[in-house]
Formats: sequence, C-alpha cells, structure tokens
Amino acid sequence: MWQNYLFPATVQEALELLAHHGGQARIIAGGTDLVLQSQRGQCAATVMIDITRIPGLDAIEERDGYITIGCQVTHARIAASPLIRQKAEVLALACGSVGGPQTRNVGTLVGNVVNALPAADGAVALFALEAEVEMVDASGRRWLPIAEMYAGVGECTINPCAQLVTTVRFRPLSDGWASAYQRLANRKALALPILNTAVVVGLEDGVCREVRIAIGPVAPTPFRAREAEAALVGQTPDAEAIVRAARLAADAADPRDSILRGSRDYRKAMVEVLVRRALTEAVTKAMP
Amino acid sequence: MQLKAVGQGVQRLDINQKVRGTRKYPQDFNMEGQLYAKVVWSAHPHAVVKRIDTSVAEALPGVVRVITYRDVPVNEYGINIYDQPVLVAPRHLAGGGQGGGKVRWVGDRIAIVVAESERIAAHARDLVQVEYEPLPVVDDPRRAMQPDAPLVHENRESNILKHIVIRRGDVGLALAHADVIVEGYYTTHHVEHAYLQPDAALGFVDDESRIAVISSCQWPADDLHQIAHMLNLPEDQLREIVPAVGGAFGGREDMHIQHLAALCAFVLRHPVKIVFDREEVTQRTGKRHPFYMRYRTGATRDGRLIAAQVELISDAGAYASTSIPVLGNAATFALGPYKIPHARVDAYTVYTNNAVTMAMRGFGATQPPFGYESQMDKLAEVLGMDPVELRMKNLLDVGDIAVTGNVMTAETGVKETLRRAALAAGWREEDGHWIKPDLGTPSAPYKRRGIGVAVAYKNVGYSLGFEDKATAKVELALDESGEIARVVVKVAAVEVGQGVLTALAQIAADTLGVDMDKVRLALVDTSETPDAGSSSASRHVFISGNAVAGAAAQAKEKWQTILREETGEMHVEAEYTFRGRSVRPTTPFDPETGQCEPHISYSYATQIALVEVDVETGQTEILEFWSAADAGKVINPIMYFGQQAGGVHMGVGYALTENYIQQEGRPRARRFSEYHIPTVMDMPRQFESIAVESAPDPNGPFGATGLGETPTLPTAPAITNAIHDATGVWIESLPANAERVWRALRAADKL
Amino acid sequence: MLLKMTLNGEPVSVEIEPDDLLAQVLRDKLGLIGTKIGCGEGECGACTVLVDGVAVTSCIYPAMKAHGRRVETIEGVAKDHELHVIQQAFVDHAAAQCGYCTPGFIMAAKALLDTNSHPTREEIVAGISGNLCRCTGYYQIVEAIEDAARRMG
Repeated sequence: MWQNYLFPATVQEALELLAHHGGQARIIAGGTDLVLQSQRGQCAATVMIDITRIPGLDAIEERDGYITIGCQVTHARIAASPLIRQKAEVLALACGSVGGPQTRNVGTLVGNVVNALPAADGAVALFALEAEVEMVDASGRRWLPIAEMYAGVGECTINPCAQLVTTVRFRPLSDGWASAYQRLANRKALALPILNTAVVVGLEDGVCREVRIAIGPVAPTPFRAREAEAALVGQTPDAEAIVRAARLAADAADPRDSILRGSRDYRKAMVEVLVRRALTEAVTKAMP
Repeated sequence: MQLKAVGQGVQRLDINQKVRGTRKYPQDFNMEGQLYAKVVWSAHPHAVVKRIDTSVAEALPGVVRVITYRDVPVNEYGINIYDQPVLVAPRHLAGGGQGGGKVRWVGDRIAIVVAESERIAAHARDLVQVEYEPLPVVDDPRRAMQPDAPLVHENRESNILKHIVIRRGDVGLALAHADVIVEGYYTTHHVEHAYLQPDAALGFVDDESRIAVISSCQWPADDLHQIAHMLNLPEDQLREIVPAVGGAFGGREDMHIQHLAALCAFVLRHPVKIVFDREEVTQRTGKRHPFYMRYRTGATRDGRLIAAQVELISDAGAYASTSIPVLGNAATFALGPYKIPHARVDAYTVYTNNAVTMAMRGFGATQPPFGYESQMDKLAEVLGMDPVELRMKNLLDVGDIAVTGNVMTAETGVKETLRRAALAAGWREEDGHWIKPDLGTPSAPYKRRGIGVAVAYKNVGYSLGFEDKATAKVELALDESGEIARVVVKVAAVEVGQGVLTALAQIAADTLGVDMDKVRLALVDTSETPDAGSSSASRHVFISGNAVAGAAAQAKEKWQTILREETGEMHVEAEYTFRGRSVRPTTPFDPETGQCEPHISYSYATQIALVEVDVETGQTEILEFWSAADAGKVINPIMYFGQQAGGVHMGVGYALTENYIQQEGRPRARRFSEYHIPTVMDMPRQFESIAVESAPDPNGPFGATGLGETPTLPTAPAITNAIHDATGVWIESLPANAERVWRALRAADKL
Repeated sequence: MLLKMTLNGEPVSVEIEPDDLLAQVLRDKLGLIGTKIGCGEGECGACTVLVDGVAVTSCIYPAMKAHGRRVETIEGVAKDHELHVIQQAFVDHAAAQCGYCTPGFIMAAKALLDTNSHPTREEIVAGISGNLCRCTGYYQIVEAIEDAARRMG
C-alpha cells in the first residue's frame, strides 16, 4: 500500500504536497473507501495526504444563504445535525443510511462525492439539493455544480494529483419546500442500495414551483430525472400527477443488470415505486 | 438426583474471558520466530495445471520456501473420501492418487508460500507462476448428471456421486386414489457459514517431536486421522490443540487450514502461522448444498396424507466432502415429520465445478423443509383447511412409522411444538378445528400481512450406521476431609460457541452433586483429551453428555469407595465411553428399499412467522416470530434461547438475504459486503422462544437430546408460507429476496 | 513512523509502517488481541475500537489517524479486575456465544452509552447495526445493552 502518511496543516500545504509528490500522492479523509481501494490494487498512490487535521474544514453551518459542509464532516455528523435535519432533511436521511455507524463515524460526505459512484447515498441527495463544491488548486478556488464532478462510474473530474474539494454548499429548504429519501437494499444496514432516490419539492399556492429528482444507480453518475421534474412543475402535485412523473422517471432511468444487487428490469420498475413514494412524502411535508 | 445445575441458566464457563477479549482464538497465538504462510489458490474452476514455477517467488528476499505437491507424502485428503489433492500437481507429474493434474474449483490449492513476514508471503504468492489449460465448467448438477457432461473426476464414470432410493408402499396406486395432489419444484441456494472468526492455524513441532497445530476445527481426532494419512505418519506423532473457535456451523467439519499448517511444520520443522482473510474464507471454503427438489404429494379430502413422491438433487461441488451422508439425511427427512404410508424418494448428489458443499447447520435436514412445508400449505389451500389443523392430522406420534420404516419412540414431541407455537401466535382450537388469528392492519396501504407456519425435525447424533461415540475422563481432586475440591472434565468436545463446555459441566456437576464452580473443562488437546467426536449433528449434549455423565458416575462411585474404605487417596480418575448403538443401533439404507433405522434420537421445532410484504417492491419484513422446539430436557434455558435465536438468524438469512452467488464456478459474492447475513435490524422485531419439554429422551442425559440445528430448519418455509398468506404467491426458490417476490407477484399479475 | 497515542488511558509510542492499519498495530505490535479482525473491510464491526470516544472499524482505519488521539480497546473497558457494567450485562444475558464478535459489540455499546445513557430500543439497535453476529440472533445482545443502560442509571 502507501509508504508515507502525511498531515498537512493547511489546504495550501496539502496542495504543495500533492504537487511535490507528482502524481504519487492522494488525498485521504475518512479513508473508508480509499483504504480498500489501496488494498485491492485499485489505487497505486504511495503517499497519503490526510486532510482531517486542517483547521476550519469541519463545520456544518448556514451562512450567506447557503448551508456549507466542510470536507472533514462525516456522515454521522450530518445525519445528527439539527440544521441539516431541519433544512435539508434528505441529506440527513441519505447520510444516515450509509453503511453502519462505524463507517458513518469516519467516512465523509465529500469523500462520498469524489469517489463518484452513481448510488452513493450522500451524493444522490446532493444532486437533489443542487449542491456546489468548492474545488481548490494552484490556480485558486472555485465553485462547481456537483454534476460537473462526475465523469463516469467511479470517475471524478477532480484531478487527484493537483486538486482537492474543501466544501459542499447548497440552499437550505425554506417554507414551502420539503424533501424525501427512499432507498431499497437487500438488508437494512451495511448494504449498498439496490436503488435510491432523493427528491426536493418547492410548492407555491399548492403548485410545484420546482421539483428535483435524483436517482442512483440508474446511469453512470447520480441521475436527475429532468422529464419527470418538468412534468410536475406548474402542476398540482396530486396522486395522478405524481404517478405520471414517477413513470417518466422510470422511462428515463437506464440501470444495468447487477448479479448481486438486482436486474435492470427490477430496478427500472422500482424507480417508479420509489420516486412516487418520495414525491408523495415530500409533497405532503411541503404542504402548509 | 437433585438438579442444581441442569435446568438452570448458569453462567457460561467461557464468557468472562470472552467479554474481556482475553479468550484466545487461533489467530491470537504466536511463537517466537514463527514464519507466515499464504496459499496460492486455483485461478480457475476447472483447468489442467500444465506448469508450476516457484522460482521467482522463492528468489524474493524473505521467502523461506514455496511448498508444492512435491512436499506432500500422500497428496490426498477428505473427510469422507480421499478425493481432494492437498496441493495440485501439474498433469504430467500427477501420477496416481489424487495428486491432481487439474483444478476442480477455485478452492483448490497450488502451493503454500512461507516467508518471514505476512507481507512478504502475500507478495510472493502473486509471483508463483501457474500455467493452466481451462476445461469446460459444469456448474449445474442437473446438467452434470447428463451422460455427455464433462467429468469433474475423470476416474469416475459419471458425476453422480451417490443415488439413494427409498421405496415404501405403492406410490403409483396411492396417488391414483388420492383426492387431491399438489406438486412443486423447489430450489435452494449455496449458503456460506459466515462464522465470524476467519480460519487460522499455527503449526509447529512440539517438545515431544510431534507435528502439532493450534487450530479452529470441529473434530480434532478426525483431522489427525486425515493429516496422518497425508503426512504418512502415525496419529500419535500428531497433535491438535483447539482453543476458542469463533463459530463453525458445520463449516469447520472439513479441514480448511489445519492440514496446511501441519504440512508447513512437517516440511520446515519450524512454527508457521496461517490466517485466512475473509475473502479466502468466503471463496475457498465449503458451503451448504443447493438442492433441487421435486415434490408430488397426495391426500384424501379430509386431509390425510397418503402418498409422496420426491426427487432431490444436490450440488456436491468439486469434492465429496460429506455430500453422501448429507444426502442420506436429506432422504430420511424428505417427507418431513409426517406419516405417509406410500412414499418414493430418489436422492442424488452430483459433482460440479462449484464450491465444495458440506455440513451446515441441519446437515441435509435444512433443505427438504422448504419443499415439504410448502407442499403442506399448498395442500391446506386446496383442501380449504387451516395449515395448523392439516399438520396436526398428519404429524408423527409415538408408535408411528416413518418413511424409512422405523418406529417413532418416546422422544417424539413434534405435535406439542406445533400446539404451543400455534397457541402463542394466536391460533385458537375450537371443536377440534384450528382457527388462524387476526393479523391486524398493515402499516401502509401497499403492504400485506401474512402468517406462516412450518414444522421440521432432525436427528441427534450420527446416522445410518456410522458409529457415534464419545469418551470422557473425569478427575476429582479431594481435599483433606475427603470432599471434592475440584473436578476436571477431559473431553475433546470443541466449544464452537454453542455452549458445550457449560452444558457438559452442568451435567458433570449434577451427576457428582457438586457446585458448578468446582468444575473445569480441560482445553481440547488431542494429546490430553479423549476423542468425543465432532461438534456437529446436535450431538454433544446427548453423546458426550452421556459420556461425561458416565465418567462422572464412575468417579463418584470410586470416590465413595475411598470415603467408605478411608484409603486417604486424594485423587480419583474415571474414564467412560458412551456409544450411541448402546441405546439405538442405526443401520444403513437397504439398497433397494431404503428401509433402515436411520437415527439415534431426534429434536423437533415448529416456527411461525408474521410478516408484512411490500407488494410494490417485494420486500418482506418479519414482525413477529415464534420458535417452539422440543429437544427433551432443557439443560440451560439461557443458552437454549440463544440456540433458538441464533438458529432463526441463520434461517432468516437463508430465507431472505443470503446468497452465495457463483457464475460458471467463479465466486460473485466474494466478501461480507457482498454476502449479507442479517444485521440486528433485519431480525424479527418480536421474537419468542418456546422450550417444549414434552418428550424427554430416556436415553439422553437427564432426558436431553440436542438443539444445535433444529431451530434453523423451519425458518425459511415459515417465512415463505407467510409470504404466500400475505400475497397469494408461492415462492419456490430461495432466497425470497425482494426481487424474487416481486417477480412472483408480477408473474401472478398481483403488482 | 512513530505513532503516539493514549491507549486505554496510558501514553503509548510505537514504531509502525505508514500503511499499517490500527487493528494490526493493536494486535501485532501491542499484543492487544481482544480487537478481532472478522472481515478486513469495515463490514462486520468485530474490530471496533473507540477513537476520541467514537466507534471506528480499526481494520480499515489507518493507524496514523490515531496519532495524538485517545484510543480505547476492549482491554481498557474493565477497570482493574472488575467488569464494566456492559460486560457484566453481556455475561448475565449470555450475550456471547462464540465470542469473536463480542469485543466489537461491547465497544459499539460503550460508544452508544457513553453519549446516550438512556437509549431507546431503536437507538440500541441502530447503535449496533454495524456489528455482525452469526451466533446469537442479537436478542440477548440488545437485552444486555438495555440492561446495562438501566444499571448505569
């Protein structure tokens, strides 16, 4: 595995270490995925740069109209955060469904994102929240829409040899907005999802102002069911409209056959069920 | 005899160390200067081995030796038949015996790399170069039975390892006269034991120059028997020490690691440690047999079973292991605990290139209940009869004759388990009829509730003529006044978690009339503790318990003689061998009719599951579960509960979440993240264990039989019958995971 | 590399490889064999230890992460010769059979009860949902933890 393990004190130092080791180094936070990748020969890095001791990256806070979550924040902290539970419930539920307590205690939301798996619970929720991530490299900092982080299954657009993600942010869900999370797995803990969906709904005068439906794994990246969303916007979200939207989501989903987690046709059928349930739940919660 | 320990929930003897983390398992032992070994496994499920080149690996600094077929004196082993090579040889050198020439599954071994550190050994194993020529893979026993199938063992004419027949009465005639006939084709899957402690062993040469291993196992004496053959050494030059074992469930009945550690110590005359990782345990050790079961059952209109025709085909995998005795058991239990005068059973076990299949909790009694109990519910539905009532009419009672022609005797307590479970679950008995309880309201509009019952039984002790015996030694240390100060029980009954140490100590304490805290069980060490047979077949309480009770009774007699004669002796020793045949000799199947006296004793269980099925996703949740078992006298009620709950855990996984998936002989469920045993959240929310002591076995110690396996047997059919009750669909293949239930609902147009 | 941590209340310095995982260091370098390795992928919880009071699976936890931290293992749970309340409850409820998963369960239970002295049954179940047991069916474990919570007041 790796031959050196370093704790930079600042983001700047982390970037310098990445540069110094010229492609041999990787950023590690919780390491719950990276350690296994390293053991299984899927990550050849010889230097681990542990960013969990850099000050200032461990906050969950609301500022300037955003909720921001630092890259050291674990799934467990998000799942338990009153702020997240109140203003981005879908993310708390998603993070609370990852693995088991020990994994959630160590694994981070940002790690979940940069691993770029299409069914990563936290990431699917962030798609529904239209989150942005702050990417830092030698040229500075910039905010990217979360969807731009993904190049394919397990492929993140972040250059692991030169860039790192410090923060995730999204708009809190205010009055008239609500979210829901649905997940199907082979057992109730310690299981990757067969299918998951995160839904955010904004209502105005009983009509959908905005709808966001994220689903995994039905595409190489977490998937937004745009046609389904569009079909609801401007509509009264009654049972019929929700069923129609859920069907559109299932039509658009393109899951693959997995011998361990479920066939394509089962997953496709379940998209309709989970999206319908999530929309129903979110709409109910969003009603005044 | 006054019982002060037996029947009490006395504290487990090993638990203090277990909660402190100080109890040592094989991987916790180390020796000065020990070396570390890693196994080079077959890369193919079926291939000719053309060339093995160890030179690059051996050149790596820190590598001590790469052990290959050349180092194995007699290159074959196996618990039942010596059909497994220890280390596979290249074909041109294979010669006679099972030396190999080819790999037959991915658990075959090519070499063992021994190095100064675990890291070096792991690195070096990837440097051993093996040239293979892949052969066609046969991965379905039904295909493997065909005459044109590729042969797994070329020295055999067919892949069919064994065909067992049972013929009783006239099935054809009886079915022709049956008022109703129900049919089904049921399949079960490969299941991993998933004991939490990965196999580990430390081989060394002891101070008496014996080749010794500290290892997890279930039957040390049989391990030595096989290792002696393999190393061409007398058994008294071998030794196995068995510390704490982290679960077994049949999975350690075959040797996975101890013979390899012994071989390393034999070759190198140096301590060598081997520890498997979870992926090795999952992919390279044996599994529970998948069964393909065809049932045809006939009954009269008033619900009397009259005939059953059963075909069982089991997937033996690449080597025999215990597939033949497992099949034998399955055949004797093919009909379930019912009186059926006319029966025809054809049972086959067949070699394939899949994982070796072997003993696992139930030993062939676990698969048939999914068939016969589904059939019972199908019949109940066709007859419009309550499932409990139908079963009550047909269950075996004392004096009834089972399918193998044997007469059921005093310990037949199955009806009482059904009665107690049904009453606990809310059934009512009125005017001789049984009435199902109201199930309450489902928790969501898309959920349906259902309740399912299943009954099963199983042998206690070895079966079908295989001799079952145990020897125990009891040593008493007396104090100045002649009172018993300490009791040491020596018996090689391996504590795999089931609590045998404590149960045997309770039996010794009450037989001697001493307090539990005076009794100690010696560490299992073949050089010290006499052979007690395996920790399997739910047998230790009955067989080894009788041995301990016998030795304790003799020790007590000697002690009383000492007191009477005032000899002043301070030490008493007695040894006693209990033989199962002394209470009931078992016999093999008659080759034409299958009639026999199959088993020494039995235990019984009825389980009832209340489930809620999500009819949109196919997910099943178990709300409540009742498990009533009769294993005669309860030795320890707290441990009894633990066996019931643990058995149900394994049954829930079998029914819903576990599936050892292979594709063309290659493992696809490779590790714990891919092989899902139930978590605490997946267990029934409410669980009731009911101890039924209606039929003590007069031959068992204090009337006890054995409970280790029975609580796993009815769980899956209780759940699938509940799923049927909830949804109207029959689940005929396990596991009944969400997708499978959804498919059944879709096929029945019930989505 | 030199790993310094507080281990069961005592300062410890140990020379390790940079890629050593905490479970290996505890078992192989420090002889604390009570931490068990069941799966090697953070999936079964047998290796659970507490780092700064938080339960982690030490089999996938880079040992260097423990540098400067407070680590508790099963060996530190009993004080002197007296079992911890949780351990005693496990004894009383026969909440261990083969015992291999037991240290991990006790550590997970301790992490839970140290932060939540009156957990509901649901919270207990959630708290041990990252620990697998193949023997007990979990009921006696849940009851032991409930009982321990009661005894701790």
